[in-house]
Amino acid sequence: MLNLRRRAPLLLAAGALVLASCTSTANVPAVVCVGAATTYLDWLNGDFEPDSPADITEPSDTTGDLLEIVRDRGELIVSTDPNYAPQSFLEPDGDFVGFDIDVATEIADRLGVGITFETPDWDAITAGSWSERWDISVGSMTITTPRKEILSFTRPYYFTPAYLAASTRSGVTKTSDLPFTLPTGAEATTLTTDANCAEAIESGRTEFDLWISSGTTIDGAIAAGSPMVKIGEPIFQENLAVAIDKSGPPHAALLFEIDKIIGEMHADGTLRAMSEEWFDGEDLTTDPSS
Amino acid sequence: MTSVAPTAPILAEIEAHQRRARQRFRAQSASVWVVLIGGLGIALWATGNINADFIGTWGPFIVEGAWITILLSVTSIIFATGLAILGAIGRLSDNAFINGAASLYVSLVRGTPLLVQIFFVYYALPQFGVALPSIPAGIIALSFNYGAYMTEIFRAGIQAVPRGQREAAESLGMPERLVMRRIVLPQAFRIVIPAIGNDFVAMIKDSALVSTIAVQELLWRASKIGTRHFRTLETLLIAAVVYWLLTIVFSYFQEKLERRMAQGDR
Repeated sequence: MLNLRRRAPLLLAAGALVLASCTSTANVPAVVCVGAATTYLDWLNGDFEPDSPADITEPSDTTGDLLEIVRDRGELIVSTDPNYAPQSFLEPDGDFVGFDIDVATEIADRLGVGITFETPDWDAITAGSWSERWDISVGSMTITTPRKEILSFTRPYYFTPAYLAASTRSGVTKTSDLPFTLPTGAEATTLTTDANCAEAIESGRTEFDLWISSGTTIDGAIAAGSPMVKIGEPIFQENLAVAIDKSGPPHAALLFEIDKIIGEMHADGTLRAMSEEWFDGEDLTTDPSS
Repeated sequence: MTSVAPTAPILAEIEAHQRRARQRFRAQSASVWVVLIGGLGIALWATGNINADFIGTWGPFIVEGAWITILLSVTSIIFATGLAILGAIGRLSDNAFINGAASLYVSLVRGTPLLVQIFFVYYALPQFGVALPSIPAGIIALSFNYGAYMTEIFRAGIQAVPRGQREAAESLGMPERLVMRRIVLPQAFRIVIPAIGNDFVAMIKDSALVSTIAVQELLWRASKIGTRHFRTLETLLIAAVVYWLLTIVFSYFQEKLERRMAQGDR
């Protein structure tokens, strides 16, 4: 039945194809890995619209506001993705640590309530409709025009540059090494979260050699042993803010309070100290555009 | 034809021989396990990709996720059993509405993937105003799913109770509900308990799917920690070994239970 001799040419051809596809990965494939529902994906697709928060005013009536719900509960529930070092990650005893975690804890402290963390996937946070499972996101979220339609943002609590990173095996060390121009020349492939891209490159997968993420996250991955280098100048700046779901209960008072607290944390140096602690002495809390 | 009755010593000898053969077979098969597992372990170790310090640091945190896995599985199997009893009674009901509803439940659940049901409970139900935290959402999805599969088990169990039992009870003037509760269900239970044990072991493995809705069980911990430290090999190995041990332990009890239940049939 299985006539190997007759099928030999076919098998040879298939083998050659496999070989050819393997050798072609020696060149850098025009694929960039990004986390799902990130601004990096928007940028690659040409629809990144950075924005600033809407005007925040103190409401006269706070009855039924999320602020009251949080104070009655005595606890602020914050969403975080613990796969986003050094902003948020897990300790061996199961505690969350990182820059975002410290900022969130300080906000809860100044609101006079305790804190607990929920760990939904990132795309569930940016999609809105949180169904009151958590109150706020302190998750390094960039303010964009489409996100502003479903989420309310405070003023930014810090600013990070977005960078391109390339695996060391690709040999790419500067933007001009790329055989195509970004963003138009490349196609995006998404994994659940930014860290999965670094993980895929580190584990030896060869579908892509390029990754776009926050400079801090790329530094974190390199520090954790991922074989890659940061390429060129920052691609764009991100202003990162606390977000609240618009489909939830009224939250004008909570937004105003947290925005005020962030202003105070900027003014009294708390945020700068936290930034220097988590980002290798770097102060990322001043707006580079101002 | 004269049949030669074997003498007692010969019988004993044959039995002893068979026992020895069985023991030898068991010992050989056990040593195959030991050799294969040992070989696999050494091979993995020899690749140099296994970091013992990392396992020492993160192993406990990942293994603790097993408690959540067990909590999910135990709670879900209890609810699923309740659903299955209702479902089975419905499936056997003469009332067309009840029967139709029960068979729709079974068909709907068995005809859709468990992962879709989990996502539905967690992401879609909030649009009807039912926003469940992740652990209750996971328990509901798992119970709902296993309830449907176990409905069929219970139906078969109820049908396996000899008809004479029911007729005898009815002829004594027992009302229909009482016959079901006192005569049929207890006997059906004895028949299906081994099958429930079987489903429980399967549930332990399927519970890994709820890691997708942020339940911090075994797989969730393994994949988060693995991604963060680029040591997915170690973390997934830890998770796999824990699942394996859990199923071995519970399969052992399930087999004992099965043997005990079978004794009553003699």
